[in-house]
Amino acid sequence: MRNTVLTRVNTHDRFLLGIVRHDRFRVVLMIVAAVVATIAGLLLPGALADAVDAAIAGRPSLPPVLWLLTLGCAEIAADVVGGILTARVTASGTAWLRRRLSRHLAALGTSSRFADGDAVSRLTTDCTGAGGVASILVQLGSALVVSTGAVILLALLDWRLALVFLGSVPVALWLARSHLRLTADDVSAYQRVSGELSARLLDAVGGLRTIAAAGIADREADRVLRPLPRLSAAGAGMWRTQARMVWKAGLLLPAVELAVLAAAGFGVLAGRLSVGDMLAALGYVALGMSLVGQVPLLTSLSRARSCAGRLAEVLETPLPAEGTFRLPAGPGRIELRGAGTDGILHDVDLTVEGGSTVAIVGRSGSGKSALAGLLGGLRPADDGEVLLDGVPMRRVRAEELRAAVGYAFERPTLLGTTVADAVAYGSWAGLVAVERACRAAHVHDLVVRLPEGYRNPLDRTPLSGGEAQRVGLARALVRGPRLLVLDDATASLDTVTEARVESAIEQALPGRTRVVVTHRVSTACRADRVVWLDAGRIRATAPHDVLWADAAYRAVFTEDGGR
Amino acid sequence: MRLYWTTLASQWRGGLALLGCSVLESVPAFLSGRLVERAVNHGFAAGSPGLGIAWLLVFAAVAVLGAFGSRLVWQRLGTLVEPLRDALVGAVVRGVLRGRAPQRRRSDASGVARITQHVEVIRDATAGMLVQGRGMVVTTVAALAGVFSIAGPLAWAVALPVLVSVLAFGCLLPTLASRQRTLTLADEHTAEAAGTVLAGMRDVVACGAEATAVASVHDRIEVQAAAATRMGTATAMRTLIVAIGAFVPLLLVLALAPGMVAAGTLTAGAALGTVVYLSATLQPALQGLAATASTVVLRLLVALRRLGEACPSPAKEGGVAEPRGCAVRLRGVTFGWGEHAEPIVRDLDLDLDPGEHLAVVGPSGIGKSTLAGLLTGMLEPQRGRVLIGGEPVGEIRTGLRHRLVAFTPQESYVFAGTVRENIALFAPSATDNQLLAAAETVGAGELVERLGGLYGEVGHAVHTGPTAGEAGERKVLSAGEAQLLSLVRLYACPAGVIVLDEATANLDPAAEARAEWAFAERGGVLVVIAHRLSSALRARRVLVMDGNDTLLGGHEELLATSSRYAEMMRAWGGRVSAGPVLPVTRAAAR
Repeated sequence: MRNTVLTRVNTHDRFLLGIVRHDRFRVVLMIVAAVVATIAGLLLPGALADAVDAAIAGRPSLPPVLWLLTLGCAEIAADVVGGILTARVTASGTAWLRRRLSRHLAALGTSSRFADGDAVSRLTTDCTGAGGVASILVQLGSALVVSTGAVILLALLDWRLALVFLGSVPVALWLARSHLRLTADDVSAYQRVSGELSARLLDAVGGLRTIAAAGIADREADRVLRPLPRLSAAGAGMWRTQARMVWKAGLLLPAVELAVLAAAGFGVLAGRLSVGDMLAALGYVALGMSLVGQVPLLTSLSRARSCAGRLAEVLETPLPAEGTFRLPAGPGRIELRGAGTDGILHDVDLTVEGGSTVAIVGRSGSGKSALAGLLGGLRPADDGEVLLDGVPMRRVRAEELRAAVGYAFERPTLLGTTVADAVAYGSWAGLVAVERACRAAHVHDLVVRLPEGYRNPLDRTPLSGGEAQRVGLARALVRGPRLLVLDDATASLDTVTEARVESAIEQALPGRTRVVVTHRVSTACRADRVVWLDAGRIRATAPHDVLWADAAYRAVFTEDGGR
Repeated sequence: MRLYWTTLASQWRGGLALLGCSVLESVPAFLSGRLVERAVNHGFAAGSPGLGIAWLLVFAAVAVLGAFGSRLVWQRLGTLVEPLRDALVGAVVRGVLRGRAPQRRRSDASGVARITQHVEVIRDATAGMLVQGRGMVVTTVAALAGVFSIAGPLAWAVALPVLVSVLAFGCLLPTLASRQRTLTLADEHTAEAAGTVLAGMRDVVACGAEATAVASVHDRIEVQAAAATRMGTATAMRTLIVAIGAFVPLLLVLALAPGMVAAGTLTAGAALGTVVYLSATLQPALQGLAATASTVVLRLLVALRRLGEACPSPAKEGGVAEPRGCAVRLRGVTFGWGEHAEPIVRDLDLDLDPGEHLAVVGPSGIGKSTLAGLLTGMLEPQRGRVLIGGEPVGEIRTGLRHRLVAFTPQESYVFAGTVRENIALFAPSATDNQLLAAAETVGAGELVERLGGLYGEVGHAVHTGPTAGEAGERKVLSAGEAQLLSLVRLYACPAGVIVLDEATANLDPAAEARAEWAFAERGGVLVVIAHRLSSALRARRVLVMDGNDTLLGGHEELLATSSRYAEMMRAWGGRVSAGPVLPVTRAAAR
């Protein structure tokens, strides 16, 4: 158990190292810049001391001032160069991770076990978290070196000062500690009221058409804003709690500074230190304390590691094997031999003849969509074999399979920039073909009424469920597939439009194999054969008229009110 | 956002109080160099450690005083920041509700959530600016004043570089802000592109478009990386300007001081104090100021700008016309969604007098709702006029409109509150009995009873995060129940023109028939945009919208003259037995 934890941690770290190594040239430059900045920063207080001693003695101060100038310029230049390099390394590391991740997720396709939202957060948040690892490490390293170096230099100046510094830091931290935490009550009260306000606004936004038509916007705004005074009060309470909490933090640095100054004062008194050395001591204290401000870097580092773990999880998921077979010409005949998907479909044997229309019916949850996914090779079968025109689908080259099968869904996701893009998505169809497909799907009339017709941007083309279904249908038709799978793809159309669309498809793509998942009697009735699914198994395969005699079959269509 | 600054300015009393706290806060910075110089020159270096310690203790006391000042600042923050947030939230809510109503899409809930987030960012960033930013400015100014007070002759060598660098930084700020904004947008676009592709993975695979999809995401990733790099470069420039501004004064003082000390124009103590001011107080403060400005202030500027963009522009204000009666006249009305788009309605003439009952039928998505938009004045016809009571509907006084035309869309407006609040929305002065009678007539009597009567509570339509738990006893309505309540609201209002836009889509056919009959007998003009064709049988006249043209006539007349209408009725007729037969006979009797 312990061992596996350790190996996991190691793989995360190796993954992080991979990110650092990906841009090693710039990372090395970044380290060089950090080293220069660190050395110059540590030497500056000493140089300042010399220059100050010269100044208050009224001695010519050119050599120490020149040295100070050199160090200062070196530090500033190293900081600037380091800053630019850090931004570049982080940006390119993040982008590199994102590219790898998006490629891998796309290659996993429908067999990915990562939910959409989860995958998006890995691609955005986790890549940013892990992509900054090189800069976090360098900053953390230089902060450590600066602070240790400052203490050592303080000790070299006078060992007593280092002792006082190290002794006073815990005391000062104790002084500046805060008993109070922002109580959960304060925060949750604010969030609750804020959420209430948002919910009220969302209610109103949902009724925007009603409100606008009635001209009652101002009245409704007042109603939405009713909890505002409570929000104000909760907010003011939060600030007061913070006031009691944070003010002591400002005392941390002065407390340590004064302790060291007092100790240095006695050094001056004893003649061990010059007045300039006191200033140098002050400078070292500031450098030594800078580590306190860098503590959040540790959180960033541990975050980077957990982000790396989440990324490695995706990238280590094995990809499905790629097919290499070519698809021979054929009528679009599908054969399922003992095919199944885990927990949904079991041991399905089915042959769909080329050019025939098969309807899949069954109660919801009986595995209709899963079967539709298997039949067109959208999801690989976990058991058994699926053949298209005699060739196992999993062995066929992906691009050939996709050109041969057209899918349309109940709730299609439309992708691309414009409406025409969305229809031609993934194919090379031109505008003429797109328009023909849209006519067949009975959506052409709608598209030409958009402000820019087929060139209308998709994100400015709000579509109702039925409209989106028809655009999705056009997308399946435009590639002229030998097999068309309609997964409840006309569910939102009225029966008249649905019948018209069906005959238009028949005209546009005659003699193609069609698999139609449906809830409607009329659609099942028009199919050559009906596959009746029940709890993941085929209950019967026969023409609709034959099955209709069975009361259990008729009951399938009444379950949701016979839409 | 002018509102932001005017609101901030109107809180000048709070600002003055903050200024008072700032004075307290500035004391340690103002005295730091002088006190350290005293402790060294008059104490330790002069051989009297007691005096040295005493001066350091004074410094400690002053530091505590300063910290106390910042505590006061935090306490005052509520009086400044909260009114600001109130004003912004108020403006946003009013802006959103007065904005153009979306005609062809569901309202954008995520957009609303984003706007509220912007307001919260502005609140936090304003607080950060007032605490940290103001604190750093105070410290810088106090340290400069300290230098002036002990080393007047050297002061210009200090002040000038600081001033120049602050000015240069100010000039850089717009660049920083615009790059930050580009970066924020690039981040959002990346997430959006990835989200679209990942959520649509089934479709991407089905289209064999993996390469296209990945390429679309990669484009966004590259843009984001470039934006991050550019932001990094600008930040490095900021570092350069500020570092030079803080370092040059130190260098000048150390180069000039020896000569002045030797010539006797500057005491050694003053030289020491100046260096303390510069290295221990001014330099960290300047750096902190720049850091605050480029994080907090940038966040603030970006959020302000995005809030300004996100808030929808207010819709056109209504006019002042006061119509007589409620007869509806459409004259040559033409409307389409764009100049080049084919019109949805073309040269439509329509007369609707009180007592008239019109049903609008046609395939889904053809633009039937457009007619509702035109009748209620939310859409303006491209050509032609829509008159109610003799006045163009767009010019009727806004406050008067809902007493003339009442409309409810398919997505009913139901909000958290009592049943009474919901159904009396258009008739706030209606008595409980009137409302209950309306509910009974429309067929919602049982529902109102089930909700606990007129004073029963209804829950939020949309449930979000923290409020979900709070809903507790409140009842969340189904779409059908929400529609019934909207119908009661319409029935109870005084309007002479009623427009139902698929407002009964989620009711069962019997409930729909009952509600429609109730409205038909209510009097006035009734326009029903039909979800089911049975609505056409109940109406006196039917308007058929079919993409290419519109047909108007009685049911029988259309059956005889329009093959398209006849076909629609035949296709639907197969299922007529599922619906109530009664309304058909009543329609025939008219």
